[in-house]
Amino acid sequence: MATATDGGVSGAAGGATDSVALSADGVTVRFGGLTALSDVSLDVRRGSIVGLVGPNGAGKSTLLAVLSGLLSPTEGTVRLLGDDVTATSARHRATRGLARTFQQPELFMGLTVREHLVLAYRARVSPHRMWRDMLDPRALFRTSTGETDKVDGLLDLLHLTHVAKAPVAALPLGVIRLVEVGRALASEPRVLLLDEPLSGLDLHGSENLVTVFREIVEQSDDGLSLVIVEHDVAAVLALSDSVVVLDFGERIAVGTPEEVRRNPAVRAAYLGDAEPPTRMTKEKAAGTTAPGAPVGGDEA
Amino acid sequence: MLQFVIAGLVLGGIYAIASAGLVITYTSSGILNFAFGAMAFVIARLYYYLHTQQTWSIPAAAAVSILIAAPALGVILYAILFRHLRLSSPLTKVVATIGLSVALPSLATLIFGSAAIQQAPGLAPEPVKVFHFLSVPVTLDQVIVYISVLVIVVAGALVLKFSDVGLKVRAMVDSTAMTDLSGTNPTAISIGVWAVSTFLAGLTGVLAAPIIGLDAINFTLLVAASFAAVIAAKLRSLPIAVGVGLLMGVATSLIQRYLPPASAWTSEVIDAVPFIVIAVVLLYNLVRGGRVGETEGWGGALDRAIMPQGESKLAASTSTVVDTASLNFFGRYAGPLALVAIAVALPLVVGGFWVGLTSQAFAFAVIFLSWTLVTGEGGMLWLCQVTFAGVGALTTAEFVNHLGWPVLAGVVVGGVVAMGLGALIGFLSIRLGDLYVALVTLTFGLLIENLVFTLPTFVNQGLGVTLNRPGFASSDVSFAYLCLAAFVVVSLFIVNLRRSTTGLALNAARWSEAGARTSGISVVQMKVLAGATAAFIAGVGGGLLAVSQSTIVPSEFATFAGIVWFASLVTIGIRSTAAALVAGLAFVMLPALCQAYLPTWTANVLPVIFGMGAISAAKYPDGILAEQSRRLRQLLRRVAPDSLADDHFAEEIEAGVTETEAVGVAPGVAGGTT
Repeated sequence: MATATDGGVSGAAGGATDSVALSADGVTVRFGGLTALSDVSLDVRRGSIVGLVGPNGAGKSTLLAVLSGLLSPTEGTVRLLGDDVTATSARHRATRGLARTFQQPELFMGLTVREHLVLAYRARVSPHRMWRDMLDPRALFRTSTGETDKVDGLLDLLHLTHVAKAPVAALPLGVIRLVEVGRALASEPRVLLLDEPLSGLDLHGSENLVTVFREIVEQSDDGLSLVIVEHDVAAVLALSDSVVVLDFGERIAVGTPEEVRRNPAVRAAYLGDAEPPTRMTKEKAAGTTAPGAPVGGDEA
Repeated sequence: MLQFVIAGLVLGGIYAIASAGLVITYTSSGILNFAFGAMAFVIARLYYYLHTQQTWSIPAAAAVSILIAAPALGVILYAILFRHLRLSSPLTKVVATIGLSVALPSLATLIFGSAAIQQAPGLAPEPVKVFHFLSVPVTLDQVIVYISVLVIVVAGALVLKFSDVGLKVRAMVDSTAMTDLSGTNPTAISIGVWAVSTFLAGLTGVLAAPIIGLDAINFTLLVAASFAAVIAAKLRSLPIAVGVGLLMGVATSLIQRYLPPASAWTSEVIDAVPFIVIAVVLLYNLVRGGRVGETEGWGGALDRAIMPQGESKLAASTSTVVDTASLNFFGRYAGPLALVAIAVALPLVVGGFWVGLTSQAFAFAVIFLSWTLVTGEGGMLWLCQVTFAGVGALTTAEFVNHLGWPVLAGVVVGGVVAMGLGALIGFLSIRLGDLYVALVTLTFGLLIENLVFTLPTFVNQGLGVTLNRPGFASSDVSFAYLCLAAFVVVSLFIVNLRRSTTGLALNAARWSEAGARTSGISVVQMKVLAGATAAFIAGVGGGLLAVSQSTIVPSEFATFAGIVWFASLVTIGIRSTAAALVAGLAFVMLPALCQAYLPTWTANVLPVIFGMGAISAAKYPDGILAEQSRRLRQLLRRVAPDSLADDHFAEEIEAGVTETEAVGVAPGVAGGTT
């Protein structure tokens, strides 16, 4: 199996497990007669950004569902921070430090932007409050300094301060995506799975968010890792330390963005005959290629 | 033995036809039709009216009622109600059909009269001809049931499998949107499906009437029993539904062979058979970790994509969320505070008989708050709150009368016992899905009603159990204030819960299970917490109701009576604590006002109004009180624009739109979710 030694991904599970935040080993998912994922393995190193790309139907979202615990694999194992979490629930994984966003945003329409972040923070840091606060009227006004700092910091980071008290039901889709990212970050994750976070954002918005992702990984004390599924391949290649390419449920390539860009299998199966996208520097991420622009004929 | 099997096949055949109608409707429209029994009753009543009261011949009466009126009823109901439910959540659909099940029988009573009819004719001419099959007597009515089942199963299978119409129906089940895009008119198919469904309801009604009499409750009970077959069929498999329906009938008949015929317990066990089947099937599904997957199984990706996100949950439209958030303190609390002020004045203003009713109304309001929590906040449809109220009432009586506990302590213990049952029911049903919660709670209510509320110690030869008021609140006025105080305390608890971490987590579990779970929130735990707490509230309310009446007659806590309670609350408003107070007052006071000051027939209009109100939940999920409040606010905003608005909120929304540009939201996607 291919292994990217200098990136965030290695081709197989195992190896230096203390540096691996999240891993999948031989994950297979079958829906009746359809094999959605076939023997897919990956390791996500701590503090790295891993891009997960592939054409529609490649199995990217299915793999994210398996990693996050929303879907049980037919075969294979998932490890989070070294522990086998294959049989555990999505909630258990969340309490262990795994957060995610969704392709179709899964927000709580009755809550405000700030309440989303507060709830996610408390669910991770003080879960007992979900039971205790119903009997304690004073709890409405009990916010810790850590909670306030965390929530306010995220609102500011994501440019959501001015809509903090607005119910998400009143907000446009692009802002809703930012709220979902904010909610995930408020839970102080060790690994964050992002399913098409740039969808619905224009050039400027994509650029902002990509910068945010890079900053939160670099500034994280705990070695936050990101796994990003995104159709904007140019942005993914620019952002990621390493990239995994799926096609028809199988992993066809893994490595650094440059390795993947040059990989003949990727060119044949994913990019077609077209030239790969111009290499972008991280600083120019999303700034030279329009979001959602296809990098190959297949994608269109 | 053979005799029992042949006899059992009659009841089983009726179960099978009802189950077939329910499955066909569910698979083609996503609607589990709780009003199927009410439809069957209306058509059976029409047949009785034409044949017995108007002396029409059997063929003429049957043709008009079953072949013309029944399908027409389906078409009319589709046009005025069901077509609007296409994109609604499963729970909204269920609530609408519950409203229909309350409204239709009362409407039939208004039209045909309220005389009790114990003996109703079937489709066989009188005197009914008797055949002998293997020395077993078989009536012509029974033969007609066998033939009907056979024709429905064979014709249904052939049409669905091999005909062009069947192909179109199956296509629509997969995706209405794609069927429409393919050039087939889904409306025409839906009309046809509803016509067939109500035809089956009508046939069920006419066939069942000679066995169960013309009583709306019995019809609804019959269809509730048929839910067992539908659940066993996982709501979708026609052959399994029909098979289980037939087997249930045979099993019911065979049980009679082995149990003492004269025992009251035998009768209770026989009535409980379908519900025991439901319990067994649900436990089996629970062990297997199955889930009915309501919306997931109906419609394709395109259908789900066009379903408005904010409208997909019961009783919490996003427009209301935004509207409420935009209010200042005066806008939010002026109405509820005015209502409480009126409630405080009421026991002093009214006199004599009406004061006692006021305390009952406040007790009902407490019971209604249990739905405000579990349905309004939790997004779950629990149909056994009346059972919890009954459990609370009887437990209170037991602790006060037999153990000598103080009344209020007994009321609290009643709530605790109900809470334990609520936690158990929630744990068993919530992980199976929202639709199963409705079915399980309905089944639980009927089981307790049949097996516990009928115990001689509680029935006491029809007199019920007496219960004295506490010494400090022995007068009607003081006890009314005690009930009002309980209402205020529970209301404040719910208001606090809404904004607490618990409320936020419950809100999360209701709006997005995937989002909640991946945020570290246990959906099952939060919903069980809501269900158990609501059961406690219902138990306390039931205890207060019992004390206010000084007597507990268990039959007052019948499951179907609870459905009327629920319909009245949904009509006024399911999310608002103030609406629970208004609903309590309306539910108790309006019938008394009708009896005191209006012609007696007007009392039958109220269930129709409540039923229609529940039906309107499809359009106004927050109820008429919230809707009228919203309109009043709109009017006030026009007159005095700044009187209600929260200035900060307006800035937030404006900022949200501005920030759309700042954060770079692509043009064309800033459409919001409403």
